[in-house]
Amino acid sequence: MSNSVLSVISRFLEEYLSSTPTKLKMCDAYLLYILLTGAMQFLYCLLVGTFPFNSFLSGFISCVGAFILAVCLRIQINPQNKSEFLGISPERAFADFLFAHTVLHLVVINFIG
Amino acid sequence: MGLELGSSILLGNMATCRGQLDNPGALMWRMCCTGTQKHSGCAWILFWQHFRHTRKCFGKIIREHLKHIQVNYKRGHLTPFEEPESGGSRQCLLGGVEEIERELLFTSLLLIALAVSAKALTPAHHLSSTDVARLQATLDQPFEDLQSAFYIIVGLNKLGTRVSDEKSACQFLRSNLDSSSIDSLFYASEASQALSDCEVPVSNETRDLLLATISEDSSVSQIYHAVAALTSLGLPLSSQEVVSALTARITKEDNVLAITMALHTASRLSQQADLRGILEEIEDLAARLDDLGGVYLQFEEGLEATALFVTAAYELSDHVGMEPPLKEDQVVQLVNSLFSKKTWGSLAEAYSVACAAAVLSNNHYHIPVIVRTQGPATVSHRDPALQLQVTNVLSQPLTSASVLLESARSVSSKSVVLKQASFSLKGETFELNFMHSQAASGYYDFSVAVRGDDRFVGNQVELKVKVSTEVGIANVDLSVVDKDQSIAPKTTRVEYPTKGKGTFTVDSHQNFALSFQLVDVNTGVELTPHQTFVRLHNQKTGQEVVFVAEPDSKNVYKFELDAAERKSEFDSVSGTYALYLIIGDATLENPILWNVHLFREPEKKPPTVVSNTFTALVLAPLLLLLILWLKLGANISNFSFAPSTLLFHLGHAAMLGLMYVYWTQLNMFQTLKYLAVLGSLTYLAGNRMLAQKAVKRNVGNMLMEATTAAFWKVFRLSGCRWICKD
Repeated sequence: MSNSVLSVISRFLEEYLSSTPTKLKMCDAYLLYILLTGAMQFLYCLLVGTFPFNSFLSGFISCVGAFILAVCLRIQINPQNKSEFLGISPERAFADFLFAHTVLHLVVINFIG
Repeated sequence: MGLELGSSILLGNMATCRGQLDNPGALMWRMCCTGTQKHSGCAWILFWQHFRHTRKCFGKIIREHLKHIQVNYKRGHLTPFEEPESGGSRQCLLGGVEEIERELLFTSLLLIALAVSAKALTPAHHLSSTDVARLQATLDQPFEDLQSAFYIIVGLNKLGTRVSDEKSACQFLRSNLDSSSIDSLFYASEASQALSDCEVPVSNETRDLLLATISEDSSVSQIYHAVAALTSLGLPLSSQEVVSALTARITKEDNVLAITMALHTASRLSQQADLRGILEEIEDLAARLDDLGGVYLQFEEGLEATALFVTAAYELSDHVGMEPPLKEDQVVQLVNSLFSKKTWGSLAEAYSVACAAAVLSNNHYHIPVIVRTQGPATVSHRDPALQLQVTNVLSQPLTSASVLLESARSVSSKSVVLKQASFSLKGETFELNFMHSQAASGYYDFSVAVRGDDRFVGNQVELKVKVSTEVGIANVDLSVVDKDQSIAPKTTRVEYPTKGKGTFTVDSHQNFALSFQLVDVNTGVELTPHQTFVRLHNQKTGQEVVFVAEPDSKNVYKFELDAAERKSEFDSVSGTYALYLIIGDATLENPILWNVHLFREPEKKPPTVVSNTFTALVLAPLLLLLILWLKLGANISNFSFAPSTLLFHLGHAAMLGLMYVYWTQLNMFQTLKYLAVLGSLTYLAGNRMLAQKAVKRNVGNMLMEATTAAFWKVFRLSGCRWICKD
């Protein structure tokens, strides 16, 4: 059983590393980073306490929001999804990404206290 | 029930009101009808007057309750001189079977009322020395006419002072005298009596005129003036004639003033005359007084009438040697009515008050006593003597009295601390050193009795005295206790009034505790004052929080501050706080505000080690990201230094910088302003840059597509040629 899971995972990793364009791999690396940062914040909250609760919330929400926006960007710049995003060029996707991030940062900074 | 009965009988008898002296209960009808016919609440007044009557003779009614059921109007059977006591019982008589029920009702009410009003009344008003001075000033006016001269001269005489210029006064009297007028003769002769060495010339015609006035045809006022003039001038007169004339006139002139003047007249007559009839009028007149709230007793005719009545009653009583039929409470109530008014509208009023004051200070039967504390009624160790001023109504000290403290009862513990202690006379005040009894601080009810003369009225006084003391703080312990009790508490003892040394530090897993005891400096007894506050004052922000310290069962005050629980009160602001202890109470002489200590509250954060670790953990993924990107081969080589690109990146960096500044300083509106500017710049630059990139990418794509298309074309052509070659 575990053997098959392991083999599936190794196969997946192989396929991923070979067939994914570099741009997408870089986006994936960014996603991993955001994920880890959010996880660390949540761990701190669990262990030490929610003392400045608003700060914890704003930090966590910023991680979650950034993750979502990055995922959207990745979907939009993936050439395999070109047919679904006919009117949206990668540059447009990136510009949207930046604008959305500005709004997110505004809210986060307001709430961080 | 009683009221309806009363009112129905009243209405039935209204017609037969006047002159029915022998009708049982006529007393009540008369006082109700004559005085208050215009009142719709006649029945109520009837009730109240009767109630007051029965209260006066409560003893008789209780004892002789059953006897009263019989109709027994004894008025004609007793003589006042044989049984002075029963003089009061006449008023107790109800007569009439129909009044039995009413009496039962009233008696039961009386018993209830007695239980309530067991305390004796004491005078609430009197003439203080300033009031006496004011009264003298009111009287001391230049003479306008003979009547005003009379009021001034005689009034001042009653108060013990004299007119400034007696000779000119005498001259004035003589020159304004009108020998044909009875009133003029009266004023002149009375005033001249008050002056020393002043003779009013009188002729035989005058004397005849005066004597002729004494008859049934003259008014009571005329008879009075004539009699007074005759006696002042030293002329003989026949007392019996006067008595008969008066008696006849009184029946016709029934108002208060007339009867008062009749009383005045009787006091000028010889003692051998039969004055009984007129003497009875005092009682009847006293019955007509209105009781206001149990505090005041006065005629509805006003202050002057009441004052003149009091004067007349006591003068006549002194003259015949019989105690006036006024109870102690009534006398006190009269005193209240007479002396509550401190400014007098007319000379007549001022004169009447002066006469009343004089007669109440100096008669053979009743002397109202005024007891006041000198200064505030407070005693302390520094000021251990309670000083009392015991005076008559004219504020003249009664130094012959002996003042006795019957009991001093603590208000809080209801225990008697001192009994039967006498005050000592020092100069004109009576003093008692109360601190000898080692009384604890607080409020005490003093019951003081003034003895020494049977005439004293209102001599049982209740005073409220405060004993104040100084408080000291002892056994002050400050300690910082760990919440889980793992570390032993650090305790510091601080001595009042010094400040504690060093500073304390308390953070969120510690409690701060303060305990102290409040003791009476003089007796060492523990105190529990009303205000014990602990105040923490932030030195920098000026914010302060006040807590209440509560005593436990051993009277040790404890205060505990749980730093974490109470952080909301402090708004989680850490810093240096000063600790003050505030002690206050009405019985303390020295309220305390003591800056006990200075202590610091550190950040209410978790330990820095943990925070630092997690900061490192949170920043770690960034490193990971950079490493991954480098590994994946992010190419920075494509970075073109076109102006739009630079501008875009700068603008974006500026926006991120603005976020930081927003966090530290700005508010939303300012940020949005700057963001709008930067955002539009960045947008424009970014637009340009991305378009260029798109073009480049599209150019690349187009090139690729063109090459591919060309290759396919070539391949197809070559393929065709190859196929066609065949």
